Amino acid sequence: MKAKKFFGLLLVLLVLVMAVIPAGCSKKKVLRISMPGEYIDPELLTKFEKEFNCKVQQDTFDSNEAMYTKLMSGEEYDILIPSDYMIERLIAEEKLAEIDLKKVPNYENVNPLVKGQAFDPDNKYTVPYFYGTVGIVYDTTVIDEADLAQGWNILTNTKYKDKLYMYDSERDSFMVALKALGYSMNTTNETEINAAYDWLINQRDTMNPIYVCDEVMDSMIAGNKAMAVVYSGDAVAIISENEKLAFFEPDEGTNFWVDGMVMTKECKETDLAYSFMNFILENENATANTIAVGYTSPITEVANKVKNEDFADIDCYIPKTSENNEVFRHQKAEVKAKFAELWTKVKAH
Amino acid sequence: MKHMKHLIKPYLIWSLIIVVIPMVLVMLYSVTTAGNSLVNIQFTLDNFKKLGNSIYVKVFTRSLSIGGITTGICLLIGYPIAYIISRKKETVQGILILLVTIPMWINMLLRTYALMNIISETGFINTLLISLGFDKIEIMYTDVAVVLGLVIDLLPFMILPIHTILNKMDKSYVEAAYDLGANKFTTFKKIIFKMSLPGVVNGVIMVFILSISSFVIPKMLGGGQYVLIGNIIEEQFITQGNWNLGSAISMILIVLMLIVIRVMNKLDKDE
Repeated sequence: MKAKKFFGLLLVLLVLVMAVIPAGCSKKKVLRISMPGEYIDPELLTKFEKEFNCKVQQDTFDSNEAMYTKLMSGEEYDILIPSDYMIERLIAEEKLAEIDLKKVPNYENVNPLVKGQAFDPDNKYTVPYFYGTVGIVYDTTVIDEADLAQGWNILTNTKYKDKLYMYDSERDSFMVALKALGYSMNTTNETEINAAYDWLINQRDTMNPIYVCDEVMDSMIAGNKAMAVVYSGDAVAIISENEKLAFFEPDEGTNFWVDGMVMTKECKETDLAYSFMNFILENENATANTIAVGYTSPITEVANKVKNEDFADIDCYIPKTSENNEVFRHQKAEVKAKFAELWTKVKAH
Repeated sequence: MKHMKHLIKPYLIWSLIIVVIPMVLVMLYSVTTAGNSLVNIQFTLDNFKKLGNSIYVKVFTRSLSIGGITTGICLLIGYPIAYIISRKKETVQGILILLVTIPMWINMLLRTYALMNIISETGFINTLLISLGFDKIEIMYTDVAVVLGLVIDLLPFMILPIHTILNKMDKSYVEAAYDLGANKFTTFKKIIFKMSLPGVVNGVIMVFILSISSFVIPKMLGGGQYVLIGNIIEEQFITQGNWNLGSAISMILIVLMLIVIRVMNKLDKDE
């Protein structure tokens, strides 16, 4: 009996020790990063670890909201790479530390276009990571080029019924509907929001769209459908695998977005975090990263070079700029709840 | 054997931490107002009132019917398989049961991706149909795809409990039935099926509960527009950040499951 108790105790101790060892044993500094999945050239992480003799603990998320939920449940990171509107929210909720841009010398090479956007007008919190727009990737052998003149409303052209993927996110779907109707994507006007809801319901009834997430990339490459709403960077990756496809950004304007590196207030390795931000913006690394992922580099020189060399056949690599484009802004709780409710209704329709 | 009781203690503590406390939290969230902090709690029934909305009612009915269909098909396919396996030699049975469980060794996501490759618009089935000169069929993103995915995923949960019962069954009852002049059908109906009922009940409960709460398979094979209970719970927690409404829906799901378990067990005892 004694022996059993002893073994039981031993087992418990063993489990405890095993849980503690990995954390306590390594003396290397650890940089904790949370970023979207498949959003970095994995070799860059190894390179950074070697160069700075540290360990990068990378955690990936499916959506900004999922990352936010994780943060709220007490998870801690040093660096986050969220999108503009989430950065705005995190700034408002005082979750971010201000960035000393002197410690990120490569910041001066960043395209002025992505600096000073409404979500962080004084560039106090954000070091741009990638930027782009949202548009439609389409099969040139199925879609009549003349129909592109319809802009976003081509997504309700019944000629292409059953041949359409929409992006499964309330933000992007309502952006499409609001822009198709000629409204601002940041509207809070109830009538306009309801009109957008009707547009989406009508689309659902007449077009039978499939709402998908990242699997849209594989599906479009395989040629399953003729049209899909995608991010410009994903379009680059899709088109480089299937040359029958092309990308277009409707004239009504679209969502111009910036994903940025931000530092949390809980950041424990400030210097290492600055080194990482600077490392990512280093020309050589930025080039490797943008080629691996397909999204547009915020470093002007790198973007131009890659456009002319590696992605020479893919003209959507650098998205068009248009006066009608907008940055998605953080919404007040009640507006967000309204959109969320309507989107659930659209999906469960 | 008395000292063995102590061995249960770590398990009790463990289940308190990972089962009981989260359940209490879910209950608490479902009857409180928005905000994830437990400091300034305010009780409300609004979360449950929202569920009266026709959208949620629709989603619940859809989930229940998909669950029902999946369970029915699993039973129809699973019972004969379990029966056939149980009539083989012991060694053969071991191999066959292993074959039934082998798919479960592979990650469910991988299996579903594989299925997507087979049934998608330009997938294996359609390529085959076209090369044989037929029209292609649309399976992907339909009810058929979702039910197919669920059945493939959950079938072992139906076969295993039924097989266990059938295997343990005393064969002399069957022989007695034949001796007393019962034909094959009567013997099956009155003896074999009746005696295997506890296994059927277990299988049905497991498959039904797993199918009405699943959200990955419907999302992957049915597309984002295929909204079941599991999907709205996921959406409330992950994307909308409305933990309270999500918890309220979870509570309804828990109650539904308890009802199913109760009804099925009652059925078992009555027989």
